[in-house]
Amino acid sequence: MINLKIDGIQAEVQEGTTILEAARSVGIRIPTLCYLKEVNEIGSCRLCVVEVEGMDKLPTSCNTLVKEGMVVQTMSERVVEARKMVLDLLLSNHHRGCFYCPQNGSCELQDVCNEYGIEETSYLGTRKKIERPAKDSHPFLSYQPELCIHCQRCVNTCAKMTGRHAITLGKTGMFNIIEAPFGEDWDMTLCESCGNCAQACPTGAITEKRKKKYRTWETKKVRTTCPHCATGCQLDLIVKDNRIVDVEGADGPSNHGLLCVKGRSASFDFVDSPERIRYPLIKNKETGEFERATWDEALDLVAGKFTEIRNNYGGEALAGFACSRSTNEDVYMLQKMVRTAFQSNNTDNCARV
Amino acid sequence: MTNTIYDVTHESDVIMLVGSNPEHAHPVIGMQIRQAVEKGTRLIVADPREIDLAKKADIHLKLRPGTNVAFANGMMHIIIEEGLTDETFIKERTENFEAMKEAVKEYTPERVAEICGIDPDLLREAARMYATADRAPILYCLGVTEHHTGTEGVMSLSNLAMMVGKIGRPGCGVNPIRGQNNVQGACDMGAAPNQFPGYQNIVAPGIVEKFEKAWNTKLNPNVGIKATDCFPKMITGEIKGLFIFGEDPVRTDPNTSHVIHALESLDFFVVDELFMTETAKLADVILPGRSYTEKEGTFTNTERRVQRVRKAVEIAGETRPDTWIFTEIMNRMGYPQPHLTPAEIMDEISSVTPSFGGISHARLDSEEVAGRGLQWPCPNPEHPGTPIMHVGKFARGLGYFRPAEYKPSMELPDETYPLVLMTGRILYHYNACAMTDKTEGINQIASESFIEVNNEDAKKLGIADGEMVAVSSRRGRIKVKASVSGKTREGECWMPFHYIEGGANWLTNDALDGISSTPEYKVCAVRVEKLS
Amino acid sequence: MSKIFLADPKSCDVKIGRLLEKFETKVKVYPPGTCPLTVQLSLLTASKNQTCGKCVPCRDGLPQLETLLKSILEGDATMETLEHMRRLATMIRDTADCAIGYQSAIEVLQGLDTFREEYESHIKDHVCPGEMGQKVPCINLCPAHVDIPAYIALIGEEDYAGAINMIRKDNPLPTACAMICEHPCEQRCRRNLIDDSINIRGLKKYAVDQIAADKVAVPKANKSTGKKVAVIGGGPAGMTAAYFLGLMGHKVTIFERQKALGGMLRYGIPNYRFPKDRLDEDIRAILSAGDIEVKYEAKIGTEIPIEEIHKEYDAMFVAIGAQAGKRLRLEGSDAGNVESAVEMLDRIGNGNIPDYTGKNVVVIGGGNVAMDAARSAVRCNAEDVRIVYRRRQDDMTALDTEIESAVMEGIELLTLKSPKSIEKDAEGNCSALIVQPQMIGPYDRAGRPSPVDAKKDPERIPCEVILIAVGQDIVSRPFEEFGMEAERGVFKAGLDTAVENLPGVFVGGDCATGPATAIRAIAAGKVAAHNIDEYLGYHHKLNCEATVPSPKENNRIPTGRANITERPAYERKHDFEHVENPYTHEEAMQEAGRCLRCDHFGCGVLKGGRDE
Repeated sequence: MINLKIDGIQAEVQEGTTILEAARSVGIRIPTLCYLKEVNEIGSCRLCVVEVEGMDKLPTSCNTLVKEGMVVQTMSERVVEARKMVLDLLLSNHHRGCFYCPQNGSCELQDVCNEYGIEETSYLGTRKKIERPAKDSHPFLSYQPELCIHCQRCVNTCAKMTGRHAITLGKTGMFNIIEAPFGEDWDMTLCESCGNCAQACPTGAITEKRKKKYRTWETKKVRTTCPHCATGCQLDLIVKDNRIVDVEGADGPSNHGLLCVKGRSASFDFVDSPERIRYPLIKNKETGEFERATWDEALDLVAGKFTEIRNNYGGEALAGFACSRSTNEDVYMLQKMVRTAFQSNNTDNCARV
Repeated sequence: MTNTIYDVTHESDVIMLVGSNPEHAHPVIGMQIRQAVEKGTRLIVADPREIDLAKKADIHLKLRPGTNVAFANGMMHIIIEEGLTDETFIKERTENFEAMKEAVKEYTPERVAEICGIDPDLLREAARMYATADRAPILYCLGVTEHHTGTEGVMSLSNLAMMVGKIGRPGCGVNPIRGQNNVQGACDMGAAPNQFPGYQNIVAPGIVEKFEKAWNTKLNPNVGIKATDCFPKMITGEIKGLFIFGEDPVRTDPNTSHVIHALESLDFFVVDELFMTETAKLADVILPGRSYTEKEGTFTNTERRVQRVRKAVEIAGETRPDTWIFTEIMNRMGYPQPHLTPAEIMDEISSVTPSFGGISHARLDSEEVAGRGLQWPCPNPEHPGTPIMHVGKFARGLGYFRPAEYKPSMELPDETYPLVLMTGRILYHYNACAMTDKTEGINQIASESFIEVNNEDAKKLGIADGEMVAVSSRRGRIKVKASVSGKTREGECWMPFHYIEGGANWLTNDALDGISSTPEYKVCAVRVEKLS
Repeated sequence: MSKIFLADPKSCDVKIGRLLEKFETKVKVYPPGTCPLTVQLSLLTASKNQTCGKCVPCRDGLPQLETLLKSILEGDATMETLEHMRRLATMIRDTADCAIGYQSAIEVLQGLDTFREEYESHIKDHVCPGEMGQKVPCINLCPAHVDIPAYIALIGEEDYAGAINMIRKDNPLPTACAMICEHPCEQRCRRNLIDDSINIRGLKKYAVDQIAADKVAVPKANKSTGKKVAVIGGGPAGMTAAYFLGLMGHKVTIFERQKALGGMLRYGIPNYRFPKDRLDEDIRAILSAGDIEVKYEAKIGTEIPIEEIHKEYDAMFVAIGAQAGKRLRLEGSDAGNVESAVEMLDRIGNGNIPDYTGKNVVVIGGGNVAMDAARSAVRCNAEDVRIVYRRRQDDMTALDTEIESAVMEGIELLTLKSPKSIEKDAEGNCSALIVQPQMIGPYDRAGRPSPVDAKKDPERIPCEVILIAVGQDIVSRPFEEFGMEAERGVFKAGLDTAVENLPGVFVGGDCATGPATAIRAIAAGKVAAHNIDEYLGYHHKLNCEATVPSPKENNRIPTGRANITERPAYERKHDFEHVENPYTHEEAMQEAGRCLRCDHFGCGVLKGGRDE
């Protein structure tokens, strides 16, 4: 174990811990922008710098490991000054049209600028002339270069978390550019549309296009499990006014914050789809058309018919299949219904098909 | 899965992937396998197709479809011949090894290579790589199970893992990546003709009595009929009434014409559904149920992890929770079932299911579980759950080697139907698309069905990439777009099964696995023709 | 299906190599007289362009620093701009991830301090302060400001006497400089932009090889002024002052401690580098310039009081050099056969060549004197000669060519060994040098890496002779007593060589700078002569007797630099004869033809471009 002092607080942490994590362990928050634990620890934004006794420079706390006896200041005058200048520089190349930005209200850059009182930049941006047009031909995802802070969270999420390497780093002169695969040739790229990059983006540079339709503060999150494959990814449904408007990956034991395109983009539009069946329907034998019925009419008909078959031919003339996509509780009750009411063991699920 | 997703993708030295394309079917597992390979885990892929992971693999065994048993036997033959078996494990933890040894004697690498259409040296290398790795899981999926010899394929892989002692340890195991979100749960919950919840067998002594007591009613003691076996019985009139909850067999079962015919033969057919599916259209009554966002409950994922599903919204109309519907029917059919909340239902489940004894909504929502779910077996409220199965002891005591002989697929190509058709999933859709095709963007990306045809076959047939072709089998004929590439081998083609228009299941064979009655989706004989 | 590849010879990184070489040259030949802020801007632009684009301070901060600096140069800044630059640069220094960022910021911060005056002048007055403006590089960088393009042109026209006269206009020791000048004139030669610098020393040597300096008549001296000037020390500084004062018509008396003139040129530099008969050519020419008298073996300060000379002469130039070898305070340094390299070279200069037959010689030190002593020891028939130095070869102050020649002559360099003690035999003579191994460590204040103890066992180097070449001292004591101020033995003087509180006393050469080069001493002699002339109330101008030829078109075809070759080491190391081979005529003409005549093209015709 390593002992160190952070803002006068004694901390004891494992060897190999970063200053940032050590600070968090004693309740001290150091602001970050580019940092994503184990994914992006490249220290590109320099916002998390701290002052360490005996060190000339201000080291980045996200990737500097603790040492025995270290004395760290996270909010010294030098540190705050440096952070303000970093933000000032970042804003110089950031389009400050927060009004139209889908990330308004959940933008990490906005948050930290507010925290440090940076509202304007004292510089003229140097990237403006070289930046290329937005890439937004992809059905779900869009990239707005003028909002990008080039932290590379998306690049490393795509490379290290999804292992897909669909977002790459390009170069124009001295500048890096994010080669986001959402341009006109999006369907020819390696992109799997999973949107983990958008979730990783600290600003509104890469977003799911639907994000424009709501503001974060209007929504609540409901933690649930993805309804598609059996990986069991944990996700948050983003609900606005009793409608699901988006999905975010949650840190579940099998998905670690990741989602695939289906989980993120195809797991909620169907819920309130106009195609949903919203009333019991009984088929008119004459016309072959379904007609709306009351629950009592429908349930009495179902119970009556099944009772008749059970009583005339025995329970084995009845069968009931469960759905492998419904909940355990539903399936349990279905098979219980078949076994108790139908008096049959002809129950199964779609495991085989 | 005997192990967890984390464990097989983060703590293994070699991953052996058999008949599984997780990048499409289980994308988040696929991402983690890609991560593992980039960090240095070796990868063996046994798959007839040139899937993306095959390109990253150290060894790709491009098995001829339907030859998994031969492949596994060949691996075992080499492992035994080269003395790579785990003698201690075999001696202490298993039985019937001698019979196993005898059974694979004839499966020389050369013979297996001939059957599977692969290079015998590659097979040797794969056997050595797998056997000598400290930690190596086998991951498999429907490419193993969806054959008429699917169960034997699974047993063969288990034999293989036992032989090298790669069971009951982190980063090892025999790991089926289950298909749908709650297919594990549906099996666990006793939606099976021969088992009550928790795999309590109907014919086992005392089980029927146990449930009669718990449910306070007389129960039918006879083993029921599997779903796939039900369809012929609907045609013969043995089954007259059917309740389908959320399934769409018209779209998902093989031999679509046959399925439609069976459903049309019923006296009374009820469907509990969200949408007007192809199956629902045939029903007499449709009851509007609820989706996962409109109710409380749990799903059990492929690692046996029970996780919460929570209600987020309510939609306009008169939909009802599905458990309410079942309860109403029970009551109206004379079985007195009180209305229970999902949490109360889980309490009942845990009271009758030993492996769920420690699972409740309250515990799943607790700080102790911290959103990580509980992996069954979890017999009591103090039990932390079981991440790895068969540690120290198999569920049945000693691991039993169950030898299997290679048997060719039921329908092999011939002069009339010269090509083998395989089916599978693509990234953008799920099963019958009932959920996924409601998202506009998804349809924009993956709007229509296709058939992957090998370059050489396409050349012979005069078919260009992107051209509409006719595909027919003994069961049906469809028109679909051709995707010409080297992804499949010559003589083999592949289709996704999601679509109704150009749907693969008009063609697939309803031949069933002898034990599990799983259809042989992965192999049928077809003819591809140019449309003039 | 190949997976990995060799480096592509057509890749940009390879192609860029040539471009970078050009860039390096461009920086190396930055013209003297350039505004330091523009250099700072070039450096900053280069720094900015080197960013990988990862981190905010470097990627976004350096371009903003550049913008701020540009605004200063464009006259669009205030004093707040300076403060802003300092704050931004401090932040970049503190937070940048790699040296591309933080080192660039450090350079800006250092520049802000070093060039404070220039920054303020640009901000307040929108101009460079003082005498800024480009100069002809070679002329400017020669301490004596010899008109190099002119004499190269004369050589090109085969007018070697003209060339010698052109040199003598500023430097009366053309032969000495032809042989041993360290040629700072070549450093920023504009020819580097095309291929390589002109071999200026080589051309000068060709001229004096064609016609000896004493065969070219010096300009006619002025009529006698009747003024008497004493020159104390007959080395390059003293002789130069005497020459110009003589030509001006003053009566000059040189007081020389030794039996012959030349100073270090005669008694420090071995014959094989600068043959004494060639030195005599320069001396004969100098002594023919007006009324110059030499008093040999004159011990000023001991036998002849300084006050006496001060009283007797109208002016006095002190140029006593730095002649005393520094001692090392080591245990056993009183052993027999341990002497200073300067003393040993002095003896050889006096014709007293020691016999080291069968002996192992160790020379301590890494300067040019150490090389001279070691190479002389080889010529004294030593069995084995080794140089012991406490830093690395890279840190040696000797010229690279000298080190290279020494090594070729079989001298081994034992680096990173700090002398610890000297072991004596029964007779009290040295038998070995004990050294402590060192490792190189952090840079010292002067910007050189300093050696630190390597924590290894001491080593024993057997030897029968030890020559110590760790620097020279100035015998300044008598002059300090006379009233001249000195700091650690080095006399203080203004840039005009005048001694502040002693009117009529001037000082220059090694004794005013510490051991340095001949050309710096010559420059001091020239400056002293002209200022003594002014002090005496005159404004003499000197004739050159040669005219600058009109220039030919630049030869732009890249052509290699013709270097001077040496006699083979196996042959030359057995004698004290001159080691260098003469240029051929073709070599000399080609070399002269490469000169770009910067005195005529470009800044050379600009007002102030040519040093007058």
